Amino acid sequence: MFHVILESTRSALISIFAHGLRSFLTTLGIVIGVAGVIAVVSLTQGMSAFIGESFSSLGSNSLTIQSYTPIAEQMRGARARLTPEDLELIERRGEGIASITPILYANRMSQVRYAAQTTFSQIMGTTYAYRDVAQSYVRRGRFIAESDNLTRRRVTVIGEKVLEDLGLPANPVNEYVELGGEWFKVIGLLEAKGEIMGFNQDDIVIVPYATMRSLQGNQARADIQIQLSLSENADVEDTTRQLTTLLRNAHGLEPDEDDDFVINTAEQLMETFDTIINMVTLVIGGIVSISLLVGGIGIMNIMLVSVTERTREIGICKAIGAKRHHILAQFLIEAMLLSLLGGLIGLALGYGLGSAISSSIDSFPSASIPLWAITLALGFSGFVGVLFGILPAAKAANLDPIDALRYE
Amino acid sequence: MNLVDGSAAAKDPGEGSALIRMRDIRKHYEMGSQTVRALDGINIEIDRGDWVSFIGSSGSGKSTFLNIMGCLDRPSGGEYFLNGVYVEELGANQLAEIRNREIGFIFQSFNLLPRATALGNVMQPLVYRRISYRRRKEMAMEALRRVKLDDRMSHLPNQLSGGQRQRVAIARALVTEPSILLADEPTGNLDSRTSAEIMQLFDQLHREGQTLILVTHEEDVAGLGDRVIELLDGKIIRDRRAGEPLH
Repeated sequence: MFHVILESTRSALISIFAHGLRSFLTTLGIVIGVAGVIAVVSLTQGMSAFIGESFSSLGSNSLTIQSYTPIAEQMRGARARLTPEDLELIERRGEGIASITPILYANRMSQVRYAAQTTFSQIMGTTYAYRDVAQSYVRRGRFIAESDNLTRRRVTVIGEKVLEDLGLPANPVNEYVELGGEWFKVIGLLEAKGEIMGFNQDDIVIVPYATMRSLQGNQARADIQIQLSLSENADVEDTTRQLTTLLRNAHGLEPDEDDDFVINTAEQLMETFDTIINMVTLVIGGIVSISLLVGGIGIMNIMLVSVTERTREIGICKAIGAKRHHILAQFLIEAMLLSLLGGLIGLALGYGLGSAISSSIDSFPSASIPLWAITLALGFSGFVGVLFGILPAAKAANLDPIDALRYE
Repeated sequence: MNLVDGSAAAKDPGEGSALIRMRDIRKHYEMGSQTVRALDGINIEIDRGDWVSFIGSSGSGKSTFLNIMGCLDRPSGGEYFLNGVYVEELGANQLAEIRNREIGFIFQSFNLLPRATALGNVMQPLVYRRISYRRRKEMAMEALRRVKLDDRMSHLPNQLSGGQRQRVAIARALVTEPSILLADEPTGNLDSRTSAEIMQLFDQLHREGQTLILVTHEEDVAGLGDRVIELLDGKIIRDRRAGEPLH
């Protein structure tokens, strides 16, 4: 069998290169198909890898707890809340927590002003613990301290984006900005973190939690977020389960009632993004792979022509002792090699295309091809070659030697 | 070396040492409502080392006979033993094997593979025998030396003259060391001088002990063999030793 494959490969290569231009045109469909699939995969996989990195910078062992009200409940005016009491409860009785911090967001995007410049940004009140939980470090100045919180000091730490939008000096420390009608002293500038899926992590204004609460003093009850990071030996699932029980008890929920809060992990978020990206890859890849099918039909067409052209040769080979499987293997392997060569060219072309696209768009992650995509592309193009080579090869193998020899 | 015409001797296929033994071979084609009897009861025995020429006008059944003898085609009826093997019982792949081992074909139009060199053409039959590339090359070079073409090994068929092409074809037929060389009008496409060279080569092979079967319509080519068999309308009408008078 090995001998047959070796000899068929030898003669197939001779035949493919003897008709160079024709072989190239035949395989063009496969080239385009594979190039398309690989370009799409390399772009989405590059994006996926980038998002993975971004999330690991978020801190993969951190949890976020938020209140959650189903839409139907919201329509009836109900609104679930996480309260400062919940925070205290978790601080007191939660297990495996390294650091914990409340986050109180301003109700809407708030106006920030510096001199004559204004911009809108997300303002959040939190504590010194946020730095460790969110791995959000300052580049200049200092982060919010415990004492800022205790004395409700009007100080703020801003992100890179806010600095740019407001036209603040490169070192904004000790400048004053106006937030919701009050003046705050800038005490720190955060390290730039970049974007995740269009959300700019540097468009942020942080103030002390207590200061934020006092500003919102007229609100009856605050709805806070709680962010916490786990100690090294703590298990995410165990902690999630324990916190769920704690909060359900505190909120007086019956066993048949749903949670009125959600606990998210950075990993979960990452998985969600991954799922979305994989789906996009699959859908676009699927659409593009139709052209592989078309390419396969092109190969079948040319192979059928080739069999007709070489009818006499086939007759000669049969006369001098070629068996059915010799002829079958020869044409099948020729079709498969054509297709595989197309696949290889397409692979190179697709990667080039993906790299070109990703480098021509600013801030787009660089293209990357996973090994599975290479295997799949080559495997599939080989399969297409075999699939569409069967008919012509069978036609060749079944030729009657006398008729084939007589063929003009 | 006897013509067996339905006598009791032919009924036992194992008898004698004949290389080819045919008994009542028939080949019929259906052409519309008519039945064409291309071969109509051929009985023949050919011994090892013989040089037998078949002669007949076109339509006499020569080609059909050659195809059946060369195991390219199966008869509609009768018995054919080739080197002791009952050929009719074999499948397509076994027939291919027989063609590869027992028969060397030489065609009027040479039938070389156009994209392969002289050497490649001679190596081709050995591909079907699981012989290593290096060994194939050695054997093919040896065969080309026998037909005195060792200086043209890397030429493509279209770079060779008619006589050279036919010698490549003969080398291809010889390389498998077949029991029978089966030549179909081997000089039909050649000028008289080249024809003479090719016939000389056949004569030499015959003297080396090769069994030769020639199909031709040229009386002088046929006359070079030991034995001349004349076909007409699918029947043997004359079987004579070379040199015997026609009538």
